[in-house]
Amino acid sequence: MQRLLLLVDRTSTWLGQLFAWLIVALTLMISWEVFSRYVLNEPHDWALDAQIMMYGTLFMMAGAYTLSKNGHVRGDVLYGFFRPRTQATLDLLLYFMFFMPGVVALTYAGWIFANESLAIRESTFSATPLPLYPFKFAIPLAGGMLLLQGIVEMVRCIACLRTGVWPSRERDVEEVDVDKLKAMVHVKDEDIAGLDKFVVKQGAAK
Amino acid sequence: MKIRKELWFGFALMALLIAGTAVMLLSADKVTNGHLGLMMLSLVVVAIMLGFPTAFTLMGMGMIFTWIAYEENTSKTLTLMVQSAFKVMGNDVLIAIPLFVFMGYLVERANLIEKLFRSMHLAMSRVPGSLAVATLFTCAVFATATGIVGAVVTLMGLLAFPQMLRGGYDVRVSAGAITAGGCLGILIPPSVMLIVYGATAGVSVVQLYAGAFFPGLMLAGLYVLYIVILAKLKPALMPPLSAAERFVPLPPLTEPIATHIGNTALPALLLALKGRSNVDVPLGHILKQLGVVLLPAMLFLAVAGLSWNSNTRPLNADERADLARSTATLESGGGLQTLGADEEESRRSGSGLAEPPAANAGDLKEPPAEGDLKEPPAEGDLNEPPATDDLKEPPGADDGAAPTEAGSASAGGVREPPPETEATAPAGRTPATQGWYIGTGVGALALLGFYAMLSFQRLEIFKMLLSSFFPLLVLIISVLGSIVMGLATPTEAAAVGALGGFLLAVAYRQFNLTMLKESVFLTAKTSAMVCWLFVGSAIFSAAFALLGGQELVENWVMSMNLSKTEFLVLSQVIIFILGWPLEWTEIIVIFMPIFIPLLDNFGVDPLFFGLLVALNLQTAFLSPPVAMAAFYLKGVSPPHVTLNQIFAGMLPFMGIQVIAIVLLYQFPAIGLWLPEVLYR
Repeated sequence: MQRLLLLVDRTSTWLGQLFAWLIVALTLMISWEVFSRYVLNEPHDWALDAQIMMYGTLFMMAGAYTLSKNGHVRGDVLYGFFRPRTQATLDLLLYFMFFMPGVVALTYAGWIFANESLAIRESTFSATPLPLYPFKFAIPLAGGMLLLQGIVEMVRCIACLRTGVWPSRERDVEEVDVDKLKAMVHVKDEDIAGLDKFVVKQGAAK
Repeated sequence: MKIRKELWFGFALMALLIAGTAVMLLSADKVTNGHLGLMMLSLVVVAIMLGFPTAFTLMGMGMIFTWIAYEENTSKTLTLMVQSAFKVMGNDVLIAIPLFVFMGYLVERANLIEKLFRSMHLAMSRVPGSLAVATLFTCAVFATATGIVGAVVTLMGLLAFPQMLRGGYDVRVSAGAITAGGCLGILIPPSVMLIVYGATAGVSVVQLYAGAFFPGLMLAGLYVLYIVILAKLKPALMPPLSAAERFVPLPPLTEPIATHIGNTALPALLLALKGRSNVDVPLGHILKQLGVVLLPAMLFLAVAGLSWNSNTRPLNADERADLARSTATLESGGGLQTLGADEEESRRSGSGLAEPPAANAGDLKEPPAEGDLKEPPAEGDLNEPPATDDLKEPPGADDGAAPTEAGSASAGGVREPPPETEATAPAGRTPATQGWYIGTGVGALALLGFYAMLSFQRLEIFKMLLSSFFPLLVLIISVLGSIVMGLATPTEAAAVGALGGFLLAVAYRQFNLTMLKESVFLTAKTSAMVCWLFVGSAIFSAAFALLGGQELVENWVMSMNLSKTEFLVLSQVIIFILGWPLEWTEIIVIFMPIFIPLLDNFGVDPLFFGLLVALNLQTAFLSPPVAMAAFYLKGVSPPHVTLNQIFAGMLPFMGIQVIAIVLLYQFPAIGLWLPEVLYR
């Protein structure tokens, strides 16, 4: 069971990270397009469509990855003050109430939507048409992955209800990784602790 | 079970909301769908406060209520959902978000901030409260380029906080300067918040950027002003730096020139060139120094020449279009070339850039050198003549406005004859305008002053700035400039900016695969967070509109007979209050769709409203007890610095933000002048 959960975790991370590389492709492609248009005077009519498809796929596929790293924005006002058991109860409840119906519906509807598109081999509206249906398949794919990840998160909630502590997650890059930032600007913990005397002195002066 | 104060407060707020909803539902004569819509709105606020990921709260609740609104027709509900999601996937405004985020992570990891802060604090060592002022400047520049509040505050907490404490600065003032400065990146374009607002409210991001530019600068300027005045009034809070801390060591080769010939850089170097035998310094070194010294002068000449050219050139419509194309080429090429130059220069450890590439002038428009080495930096920058040149460059403005409004990235091919604007150069080869003479004169004077004051110590500072501050400034100005002048869509500028961040990282030797991987993954997570929120809110707003909640709100607001001012004040107060339990993303995507349609009734420009909201949401970052900035700073400060001290330090800056909002409200021109000049 545990292994299955980890497998889902890893899959969604792997998938999200795989599609994350699209940002590099997107950067290079748009930069090239700018160069091509202004310098070579040779704009491509399909460029915008391709850009949008890359962006859409990128963020959709990263949805489950973000969920697996607890990266979706949440109202932190009260949540942060709850004990883990309370947090887990609320989360579990709301996963059932909002997440499940929403994501199941999105996945199911996306599947139909994409298949309809596939049936008519839908393509974009421009002089150089690009096939549109693979892009639309990103919805059910992302939705399905999100659903699996959601189930894993619910199991996490149950585990937390049992033990009273949140099960740990696999490490991943964080936006503000204090230790890394400290290393980057060469500041050590002792230096910070050494500063304390200035603060204390100031407090004493008052 | 003991419940803490914070919880009580939150629960009370929730209970109040639910009670209010209940009263509304019970008091209505007949419960219509519109009432259901309002109920949904209050329920969603309660649900968000419970802490479930907002995107899915919105999605789930939106779906349930859509289903009710469609009278339980499942297939219609499903179609609406998938259509909303697909609309977000195909949104050509939001596409800029991952790119700007990516640029931010790359620039952050290029690790310029250490050098930047050092050079800033040396450059400003004579200003009262110099360390705090330098902190604000560093924050403003770095936060603008990266837009990541947490990282900027943490980094400045590591770099500037120790320096300020050692320098005997008051803990509260230091903490306030760091947190307030770190949050500036949210407002000063290119910021993600403005893109999110633009996408939600249907306002052009280009205009928002142009509009937010001066309010952002104004806010930063007010912060600096506050610090300077405070340092003057109460020197005990911010003692001046000791001579040892201001000391700038000279490189061994420069030393003899400074001691034997004279300490004013330009004449001394020229003399040394002539009578070299006296001081025994290699010629190469002198020439290198001279090259750096002459950089601003060359830049000035290039800018003056270019602007004279565009100012007096006779043009007809065709030629103008041609020129537009070539200027565009020049500029877009310039961005890359400049960075290349920086790269080279840093490899030579800032020892000398032989001459500025011609295209450089396109980007480095203002010679900020003068402005920054002299004491009043803000004044210097704003008065520079090139600022006016920027506005005057007609082809850029004309050329760009058309394609951007068309909103198509491939508009390069479609080139309509540019519309006449007041800034357009006259049709014949006319003598240069008075403005040009005034601008050039002021510039020349500034240049003279700069050289009169340029000692060898200042030259060293100038070189440090050259390798830390200017690359960032060039990046920001070229990204922002190309957007605002209409040369590129925000998306394109963001992509080129990301490429620039990439080159910056390579130039500063911070680039490796781990760093790229981290930036890429972080970008994916942040974009997914913002864009999934949009997916959720698209479904939610659709449900709200279907239920007719909007109409109800509109009737209700209109029945209150508010004047325009009252409405604006009321809406800003509501947004301010919402900023306490919610994050800015949530406020914008959930509540802006409700506010925006009301604006028409009161004759408020959505652009202006957006600027007010952006300023307003700044305060949300600094308002206790949820201000993230404070917690980031607390995480890296010495144990005896308390959260309360940090909060107390932030309060005056919150006050300044409120003053800024009032100023912007009283003088809308602060925000609307630039978009008006450029686009109307």
